[in-house]
Amino acid sequence: MGNYATRHMMRRRNSGPFVAQRDGTYVMNLAPDVQAMLVHMFGELRDVLTTGDSNEPTLQRLFPVAYHQDPESNEEYQRLMRSELVASRLAAISRAVEVIDTATNQSPVLTSGDMSQFMQSLNAIRLLLGTMLDVSEDDELHGHSDLEDDDPRLAQHHLYAYLGWLLEASISAQMNRGEIR
Amino acid sequence: MASTTESPAADVAVDEQLDTDKPWIVLVWNDPINLMSYVAFVLQKLFGYSNEKATELMLDVHHKGRAVVSSGARERAELDVFRLHEHGLWATMQRDT
Repeated sequence: MGNYATRHMMRRRNSGPFVAQRDGTYVMNLAPDVQAMLVHMFGELRDVLTTGDSNEPTLQRLFPVAYHQDPESNEEYQRLMRSELVASRLAAISRAVEVIDTATNQSPVLTSGDMSQFMQSLNAIRLLLGTMLDVSEDDELHGHSDLEDDDPRLAQHHLYAYLGWLLEASISAQMNRGEIR
Repeated sequence: MASTTESPAADVAVDEQLDTDKPWIVLVWNDPINLMSYVAFVLQKLFGYSNEKATELMLDVHHKGRAVVSSGARERAELDVFRLHEHGLWATMQRDT
């Protein structure tokens, strides 16, 4: 393989929002305003988890039923595990925010564990936003062409699509690294 | 009504014994939000499945509406459900039939 091809491959490998480093970390290659937007959304997710009513329909995807055939066992499961699930989500959010906030004037660097926490938090935001937008599998096929250009939901749909792209990129980066075989 | 040599109480005891012998299964259900690649990735990460096996299970979830992703003792199944919930997957558990 010639030098040109090698350089071309290196450029391709180095592009994208998450750049794998030789030491096992990932550099987050996102514009500062996008990073700020993510920190803002993580903060909103934290607020919803700490102050929201987990029985609200929009939050149900964050707190799924465990025993779908046995309400009594499910109640017991939720009593024991719900606070642990909230704590786990809050820990993931805190770490994701910390990684971005502490990287002043430079690109955030994520360890393998940080990447996992970031990915889980990103997915949690998508679950919340997707539930609010009542996303269906038809949307994936046909888009949301029924919305008028000035419909405020259009921006939310674009945000939802962007978060999906970002999540996909984080998965690709980890797969390419061989975090999962 | 047919007669029997065993009492109803004995039947119940036998049924309960058989019931507790059955393993628990953990199911992942289809939902329109989680990315297919994300579901396959999480199954590989949590259960150590190969890419092929995780993709097969993910496609079952997508096309058939659900797939059994693990089975075993109740405590193990509850832990698996919890880890899947941590990752945002729609997972439930039930006794195997």
